[in-house]
Amino acid sequence: MTHAQDVITESEIAGQLEIACESRTSDAEAVLIHSLRSREDSGYETLVRSYGPLVMATANRYLRSQDDAADCFQDTFIAIFESIDSFQGRSPFRFWVRGVTINQCLMTLRKRKRRREESIEHMLPMFNDRGRRIEVASPRQKSEIGESLDAEQRRQVVRENIDRLPDKYRLVLLLRDIDGYSTREAASILGIEVNAVKTRLHRARSALKHMLEQTIDWKHCHVDV
Amino acid sequence: MLTCKQFDEFMADYLGDGLPIWQKYMCWLHVKMCRECAYFMQQYRKTIALGKNAFESPDDAVPDSVPEELVKAAMAHRKSR
Repeated sequence: MTHAQDVITESEIAGQLEIACESRTSDAEAVLIHSLRSREDSGYETLVRSYGPLVMATANRYLRSQDDAADCFQDTFIAIFESIDSFQGRSPFRFWVRGVTINQCLMTLRKRKRRREESIEHMLPMFNDRGRRIEVASPRQKSEIGESLDAEQRRQVVRENIDRLPDKYRLVLLLRDIDGYSTREAASILGIEVNAVKTRLHRARSALKHMLEQTIDWKHCHVDV
Repeated sequence: MLTCKQFDEFMADYLGDGLPIWQKYMCWLHVKMCRECAYFMQQYRKTIALGKNAFESPDDAVPDSVPEELVKAAMAHRKSR
């Protein structure tokens, strides 16, 4: 590549700075985005090295399989590269990258053979004929760590239980509670109605609460709410 | 007054501040009057917080880099297309 090709013109810099100002995109990100739009190989490598960890962590969380995550990793970067012109700088670049990754994960999940999933019906709140809540004591599992979970063990238990949720509930929980998407955004990503997101989220949280009761003692569980 | 079942249907919106003021008041009143729902809601809120907390651990933080072979595979994948 010649020096002339390396030089970014003033108008291009102004354009990138506009993106940077609008979305708080860093200068390095603005240069990377320009490089990707110019279809430069070096830009692609920088993209993979800089955003690889974020893409991998997101894919692992959504796919629960390292093999699937590795496949998704490659497809995600191709998707980012091919759709870079659609990035308008309205959100930080890393959020956009994460969104593309999640979309790729959802496509992988749709293609993947459905795994056997546990029903959550028995984990949901129950009510009598008059609509009064019926408290059902959930059996506490006797485990070595049951009463004295340290912070990391507790996180592990929560992650494992989130992974046990059927995909239709798990995905809504990840999008809303973990990745912080709004109800409307989650509905758009999943292609379902806003009310369906609300219902699934409430059921997912209720089922997760039920599952956690088996190992976590609420009285001694101190967490900022 | 709302029944527990009706309150349960509103709970996520109640906690997420997504209810009109009169419905919010009805929920608030129900929680004040119903110990079971108050207790359930307390645990429900802890569940949400635990979920967020579960992915904030340093072990789950985004790593500094990915394995070199994965980077090379991604580069090769693009060239093969």
